[in-house]
Parts: sequence; structure tokens; C-alpha cells
Amino acid sequence: MKRRGRGIACMWYPVGYTVTANPSAAVVKMNEDGTATVLTGTVETGQGSLTVLGQIAAQELGISTDDVYVVSADTDATPADMGAIASRTTYVTGNAIRLAAGRAKAILFEVAAPLLGVKPDQLEARDRKIQVKGFPQRHLAIGEVANRAQVDMGQPAIGAASWNPPTVALDPETGQGKPFATYVYATQIAEVDVDDETGDVEILRIVAAHDCGTPINPMLVEGQVEGGISMGIGLALHEQILFDDAGRQINPNLTNYLVPTSLDMPEIQVDIVESFDPTGPFGAKGVGEPTSVPTAAAILNAIHNAVGVRIASLPATAEKVLAAIHAKRGRATPAIPAPRA
Amino acid sequence: MPGKKKVAEKKRQRTLETPRTAEEVTRLPAVVPPVAYPIETLVPEARQQTPAVGQRAQRVDARMHGLGQTQYIDDLTFPGMLHAKIKRAGIASARIVRIDTSAAEAMPGVIAVLTGREIPVNSFGATIQDQPLLADERVFHAGDGVAAVAAVTEQIAVEAIGRIKVEYEPLPALLDPLEALKDDARKVHPPHSNIYATKMIRKGDIEKGFAASDRVFEGRFRTQMVEHVSLEPHAAIADWDPNGRLTVWSTLGRITLGRADLARTLKLPMSRIHVIATIVGGNFGGKNEITQEPVLALLSRKAGRPVKGVYTRGEEFTSTTTRHPFIMDYKTGVTRDGRIVARKVCLVLDGGAYCSFSETTLGKACILASGPYKIENLFVEAFAVYTNKTVAGAMRGFGAPQTCFAYESHMDDIAAALGLDPLDIRLLNAFDEGSASPTGQVLQSVVVKQSLAKAAERFGWKEAGQ
Repeated sequence: MKRRGRGIACMWYPVGYTVTANPSAAVVKMNEDGTATVLTGTVETGQGSLTVLGQIAAQELGISTDDVYVVSADTDATPADMGAIASRTTYVTGNAIRLAAGRAKAILFEVAAPLLGVKPDQLEARDRKIQVKGFPQRHLAIGEVANRAQVDMGQPAIGAASWNPPTVALDPETGQGKPFATYVYATQIAEVDVDDETGDVEILRIVAAHDCGTPINPMLVEGQVEGGISMGIGLALHEQILFDDAGRQINPNLTNYLVPTSLDMPEIQVDIVESFDPTGPFGAKGVGEPTSVPTAAAILNAIHNAVGVRIASLPATAEKVLAAIHAKRGRATPAIPAPRA
Repeated sequence: MPGKKKVAEKKRQRTLETPRTAEEVTRLPAVVPPVAYPIETLVPEARQQTPAVGQRAQRVDARMHGLGQTQYIDDLTFPGMLHAKIKRAGIASARIVRIDTSAAEAMPGVIAVLTGREIPVNSFGATIQDQPLLADERVFHAGDGVAAVAAVTEQIAVEAIGRIKVEYEPLPALLDPLEALKDDARKVHPPHSNIYATKMIRKGDIEKGFAASDRVFEGRFRTQMVEHVSLEPHAAIADWDPNGRLTVWSTLGRITLGRADLARTLKLPMSRIHVIATIVGGNFGGKNEITQEPVLALLSRKAGRPVKGVYTRGEEFTSTTTRHPFIMDYKTGVTRDGRIVARKVCLVLDGGAYCSFSETTLGKACILASGPYKIENLFVEAFAVYTNKTVAGAMRGFGAPQTCFAYESHMDDIAAALGLDPLDIRLLNAFDEGSASPTGQVLQSVVVKQSLAKAAERFGWKEAGQ
């Protein structure tokens, strides 16, 4: 019969490289109409990073996401970036872009200050306007300022910057040091049905509460969490590269190496845990890799809760779960010859 | 007109099963004609709002993806472009006696053939440059490339690599990571030790910690080798201009470092290399390093034409990086009420044939292995070892999913033995704001307890009871 179980797992995960410098550089160019172009050397690999980076530039300049175009991933056109790795794009590249946008904005403030009769540090950029702090009715359209900066003053609003997360090397004997600038935290809870006659595990739902600092784009955070969970399910139950005795893979294809499909996906409920990291752009950290970290642990704990067996090696295939149930019940099970993993 | 109506009706009744006449088939266009989409598009409101941060703004590439109009590398084509294929060893450990490419070179349609000896610097790697682009003297795992061909069609290239004769002197293969750890084990990369990276974290005094514990628990956990299975396989196109400047379109996720690797392996100044990454169809760590890019560049230089290479799904499994299989031993001392007093962890990473991102994976795994918990007495040691298997490298989480599986399984075993709720034992031990990490770092913006509470509330953990 099917037995229901639930399992919980929490985790922590760092943002950026381990100790090693991993700078990102960025250029932000204000166009004469108040829109902007961002140059970044990172690569969009499907996670939505270009959208998030555009939002960060837009926020700093007080314009909308759609007002920013992000040029990326061309070694001739874009500055150095250590790339789409280590959940670092929002945090590291985001900080570089925020700094670069701030430098472009400073030029706009310099141009707008005499026109508004104030000092540059009394200005702010909001809602596509350069306005006096506390007196929003005293403002100029950002496009007007950008145009004046370039056409009248001959000083186009362009900013360039780079950022590298601060770290301290680890002592080789004790491992003590500061390997990362910041970390994110998360918990996932899985609910499963385990068929104790076949060993088959069905995941009914997964609840995921993830910290990413400020969510720059909550929709993309949710998308990352759902994608990460699908990867975690594969690690927990399905996926395994198998080798023959001579060291050759025996299932290098998607017929015999099973990845989760939409039919394997449970109901997923995502919560973003409120947090703010002062070192990140607008308090943001990152979310890419951590989303798939606690999934397998939560599922395996749910299997344990359902049928009382601890599967200590991944993946928890039906054969393995059934053999463990039989072993627990003290019944002799015919040994299944396992290929070398 | 009644006659025409009848014809229209007849057409409507046709189903997919209705066989097409030869005439109809020949009338089908060879290439799907381009579809014109309206340029005036509705911009979703969230993209136009200020402030921009916090908006559920639609992705810039969403419309292109939704319409199937995104141009991946395999969608790109250039005049005179050739197609490359790499011959794979198919043997896990061997000495290469000779490679005979003459039959392949003689084939009509084959324009260039390349072996490892022709590559200016035939090695690469994130920390240790131990991986050849094409194996020249030794084969270290079955997915190693041994020769490459560029031909006018992909089919000819496939046939040509079949005609390349490689004579091997087979050597015994080392496949078990625990075997590889032993002092007397056969060396995968002689004279170097099989243990090519170690890390250690030491905090407090674990012997005293275990002595002060009420209960001590032990467990061994293992994880498997998995593939990233990105929808888009590794793909690249290389082309040279008449000034000897190289352009590479690639699925690389890290172009700054990719260009540095190309410069090193090809012995070219960076100013003569242009790397363009297209929209990448999934990375997950698998596209962090160069793979075939220098090989395509050299084939292109020989042929004087652009050369494209797209890995098959089989090559994605056998010849690109995978997730490290882990063997993890945990020993934890706790008080009767579930507080962790001491923890000892030993990790063994099966790195496969080359180092790749093993050092990074080892380091992160080591730091994260004790979990998000306050533990005064801690000892973690970790080893990465060579085996003659598929290379393990960067993959989403760098050892974190493996260690999380171990420390959280271990935690539930402890909770069950002490009769504690799994949620409560975690809340008791979890980091707080300002807690010290295993490396002695004071942590900020720590919300692990909040995430536990939030998830438990959403799930209805307490209501459901144990």
C-alpha cells in the first residue's frame, strides 16, 4: 500500500568564488532620451540574468526595466566578467552595474544641479526624473538632462565600474578565514507517497522557502526555485550514470538515463524569505544554485518518514527502496546485480 | 461553385495518416519560410514600472523563446561552413601507439583532420592543466577525444572519424575512488598521486567534544555521478579573418576566461581572439570551461573555412563534465536534548580522469559539510581522487547537494533516535545572525531559522503532527 511521509531539509550556500578574486566590470551609457545601455561580459544561460541586471541599472537611474537594454557576452564589446557561475551574477555583476550606473547618474546630477538651483548631492533619480530630494515638484525629465549633458555640455553620461567580493584566504591547517562575502539560506519540505510493495516514490508536493536577499525580480526567483527542484528530484530518484567493468558508460542517452519530465513534477509552493544584505545591490544576494541543494535531502527524509528506511546512497530508485523495505522486514530478497556506479 | 466546395471539403477531411502524393511532397518547401511577426508588441506593464527593483518584469528573451525565434549556435550558418566531429577513445585507459588518419583524409568532402600533437599547447583545466584537448599519448577515460575531422557535411564527418584507425595498448583502468586513495594504488597520472586536492577545516577540539556528548552517531552516505543535461548541447563555431584574427561563437558561460584559455592553448595574443557567447540553452556548470573550441579553431585554420561543432547527446554524457560522486562519513556527538557538540566529516570526491573544477567543489563541500549549524568542535577533511572515469567538474551547487543530502539525512537519524521533531532539532542548532561559520567567519543576513519557520508554516508541519 501507499504510505505517506514528509521530510525537511535546510541548507546554506555561498555567493561567488571561494576566496579567489572574481571581479565583474560593467559600463552604463545613458542615451540622450533618458534610456540606457548596459555592457556586461556575463552570459545569459537561461536564468534570466540579463533582465535582473537591467532592473538593477534601471533602479539606480530611476527609470524602468524596459528603458534599459543590456549588451552581453562579447569579448570585443563588453568588459571582463568571471561569468555565469557560483550564483554570482546578481550579486557581483549586479554590484558592478549599480556602481557604473551611479557614475553615469553623477554626471546627470552635475548637469541638472545648476538648472534646479541646488547642489548635485541634493538630487535623486526617480520615476524618469531628476528631482530635488524632499521637493519632487522641482524636477527635470531624465531625458532632458541626458540630452543636455551630451548635446549642450559635451559630457555624455557614461559610467564604468568593477566590483569584487571581499574575502580572506583560508589557513591551510585549520581552514579558518573568510572564503565568501555572503551566504544564502533555504528550507524545503517534501511530501511523498511510497508504495511499499513496489518501492515506487511519488512526490506529492514540495514547499520551498528561499532567501536571496532582496528579490530583484520575484517571478524569476520563483522560476529558479522550480527549475532547481526539478534538478533535485532527478538527483534524488532518477538520474545516474552507470559504468561497465571496463569504465565505459552504459547509459549515455535519454532513454536509459532518466531525467524528470513535467509529469514527475509535484505541486511546488515557493516562499521568498525576507532578508536584506547590505553588501549586495539593493540588498540582493543570489538564488541560482541553492534552489537544487536541499531537494534530494528533503525527499530522502520523506521516504524515511513514510516507510522507515534510510536510503544512504542516491538515487533512491524503486529497486533500492523496495530492497530496503524487505531488509527491514527481515525478508530475504533476491539480490539484484547492481552495475558499477 | 459546388465543384470547388467539394474539393475543399475533401481537403478538410484529410488526417495526418492520409498518405501524401509524390507531387505534394515535392511541392513542400525545403526550408520553413520565415514568419513575419508584428514589431509593435505589447510591453507588459511590469517592465515599464518604476521603481524597477521588485517588479515581476517579463524576461527580455521571453518573446523570442516563446515564438521559437531564439538563435542558438546550431541555428547559425556561414558561407562555406564545415562540420566537425571528434573521434572518442571508447577505452578507459590506454597508451596510444599510433593514429592513422590517411583513410579519413582521402575521403571526398573531408577538408581537414587534426590530432593532439598539432595543438600548440595541448592542455587546459581550471586549476591544474591536466586535460588534453585531444589525447595524444595516453587515454585517461573513455570519452577522451583522439582526433577531429572537418567535412562539408556532418554525415561525411561522422563517416570519416569511423575511418580513423587508432592503435591502443590497453592499460588497467582504476575505477573505484576508495581504491584510488590507497598508497599502493596504480597511479592514474604517474608520477602524480591519485589524491590531487585536499582540504581541511579544524575548529575547537573534536575529541573533547565527543567525550562531552551524551550520544554519538555515525553514518556513511554516497551519491552518484549525474549529467547536467542542458537542453542545448555544447556547440561552437570558429572562423578566421584574413588578418589572422579568430572569432569563436560558443555556448561558453564564461567568455572572459574562455578567451584566456583559447589564447593559452593556441598561443595567440588575446587581442586576436574574439569570443561571442550566444543565448545559451542551459549551463548548470557544464559550460564553464572550453571543450572543443581550440580544436575547431585549428581545423578552421587548416581548412580556411568556418567550422561548426555540435556535441551529440552521447558526447554530452561521455565527454563533458559531470557531478562528482561523493563518499561521505559523518560522526556527530549530541547532547540528550539534541544540541550538536562535535562533528567529524570525511569526504572523498571521485574526480574522474582530470581535475577540472574539483578544487572548487572540494573547497565548497568542505566549508558547507557541517550544515547551517552552530558547532563548536569540528573537523572536516576532504580528498579529491583521480579515476579513469568521466571527468567530474562544476555542477550547480559544487558539492552542496551531496553534503546537504548527508548532513540532513544524518540530522533526521539523530532526531529519530532522540525522539525529537526534525524541525525542532534544526531550529535548536541553526545559525543565528552573527554566528561563526566553520571557517570562523561572522555571518550576516542569516535567515535559516526564518526559512525553516516559513516552510513549516506553509507546509502545515506542526498541524500535521508527527
